[in-house]
Amino acid sequence: MSDPRPAKQPWNKSSKLASFKGLRGFSDAVLVFGSLLLAAAVFSLLLSVLWSVISAGSGAMSAEFLYQNNRYISTTTSLDYGGVGHAILGTLELVLLATAVALPLGLAIAVYLTQSQSKLRNLVRAITQALAGLPSVVSGLFVLSIISFLDAQKSGIFGAVALFPLMLPTVARVAEEALRLVPQDLRLAALGLGAPNYRAFFQVILPAAKTGIITALLLGLARVVGETAPLILTIQANEGTNLNPLEGGVATLPTYIYGFISAGYASSITRAWGASLVLLIIVGILFVSARLLTGDKKKKKSKGSK
Amino acid sequence: MSRGDRLFFGITSSAAYFAFILVGLILVFLIAQAWPAIQEQGFAFVYGDKWEVTEEKTILQIGPMLYGSILIALLGVLIATPMAIATAYMIVFILKGGWAKLATNLIDLLAALPSVIIGLWGVLVFTPIAQGWAEFLHQYLGWIPLFATDKGTTSLNSSPFIAGWIVAVMIVPIITSVTREIFSQFDRELVNGALALGATRWTVFRRVILPTTSGGITGGVLLGLGRAIGETVAIYYVLQLSMNINLFQILEPRGGAIASWILSRFGEATDKEFHGLMAAGLVIFITTLIINLIANVIVNKAQPWRK
Repeated sequence: MSDPRPAKQPWNKSSKLASFKGLRGFSDAVLVFGSLLLAAAVFSLLLSVLWSVISAGSGAMSAEFLYQNNRYISTTTSLDYGGVGHAILGTLELVLLATAVALPLGLAIAVYLTQSQSKLRNLVRAITQALAGLPSVVSGLFVLSIISFLDAQKSGIFGAVALFPLMLPTVARVAEEALRLVPQDLRLAALGLGAPNYRAFFQVILPAAKTGIITALLLGLARVVGETAPLILTIQANEGTNLNPLEGGVATLPTYIYGFISAGYASSITRAWGASLVLLIIVGILFVSARLLTGDKKKKKSKGSK
Repeated sequence: MSRGDRLFFGITSSAAYFAFILVGLILVFLIAQAWPAIQEQGFAFVYGDKWEVTEEKTILQIGPMLYGSILIALLGVLIATPMAIATAYMIVFILKGGWAKLATNLIDLLAALPSVIIGLWGVLVFTPIAQGWAEFLHQYLGWIPLFATDKGTTSLNSSPFIAGWIVAVMIVPIITSVTREIFSQFDRELVNGALALGATRWTVFRRVILPTTSGGITGGVLLGLGRAIGETVAIYYVLQLSMNINLFQILEPRGGAIASWILSRFGEATDKEFHGLMAAGLVIFITTLIINLIANVIVNKAQPWRK
């Protein structure tokens, strides 16, 4: 399949085109400086969020804060004791459980979207895209209704189930884009050599799309690692460390933040900022590594075509 | 087809159909749990404005919350759209190479920020600032009903105005990325032609770029609207939820947001209330599902190169 896009020429962004003189120049100047100003407003909002989290969160940071759990800690305990160790472990546990199902399933949907000739394909794509807009609270309510239907106790596994529908569309979309980047010729060549479709996929397409699939995984993780509402609805809090997803409460970073903001004391707010910083660092690592991977990919691709 | 292939395609297509099943399951479970409340409350559930749970009777109605969600989402879109279009314009038509890439990455990072962090920032850092803006608006433009407040209102925090800004922060990246994608694939010949005819930057933007891309941008705005209506935690912190409906006084510290209402009532909900909250969730689900389906149809049509 050839790329239907016209060959890319760089936009002429030379400043000579935009002389801001005279009446004609005035409206151009308004456009350029107006858009710079509004964009600056967006970036200052972003920087304000980042700076607030980093400056206020570093006040809570210490080795103890990172590995201790919250047992025997009240909302007014001094910051020398207690931390988010249990919440980090809980978050990782739930997110990995959700990933274990969402990654293979999302990948399979992506394969279907890129390889199937079925007429249902566009419908599947539409419903997957619509799922991407699923409000997180609805996902929580959905799992809550399952819990109530099963008459089960809230536990970690249900939190993971509530994260899954939120993660699936992201993984499917990014994986689809990754698979689409693999030249169709590769697959056809494999088929021409007599490979069945599944071997063409596992031995030719998947290795070629490896970094893209990892990107899909990373962006999927980043999408759900900070989700709060579904977890508030489906798991019980826990002050201690609990790695059993089938029984008892489990602490996660978002619900930890939620709980400590609601408490409202100065030291509890500092703890919330500290946990936010930890969460921000996790999201940042996932995000930056996803970007580095796709950056490499594009560079390699453009080198190859030359 | 070999047996391996049949298995391979069998698995991938069942995964694809699972997407339908998932949406179906969400609908079925929510309807099943919401049914007792819908049956008991009738259609007034959607537009009424009483939420009373006592021993004798239970009245569950979410009118002000539903209205508030729409009001806040519209405010958010109103604030976010100009900023998003400007940012996309800057990235595609003004910034060069590395700077454009950096700006794109920063915008995408904003999209990745968890809403609980935006909420924490919103209530502790942004609210005092926005309160200043609100006081300014009220002082100088208070004669416009939009910026008026009730008698006796002293502090202008926890208002739909502030919630609208918080929502705007979260949907700016959504609208920006759709708009940026459409701008960057814009037909260069059209622009060059317009420039050759003597058009200025402004005329090219206003008469050439905007008319041809407005459809796709509308799709992006709808995606943002869907996200805004479902937003829960961040609004929960910055808004004073009230069943006393606030029609248009956006600076008044009372408003509604249906998703935040679910969160605020959920902890101490009685059995009947539980079903009512499920019904509220059903309302959000159906609303956002419809908005998203329409939005995606529009966006896909505006981005034919994605197929």
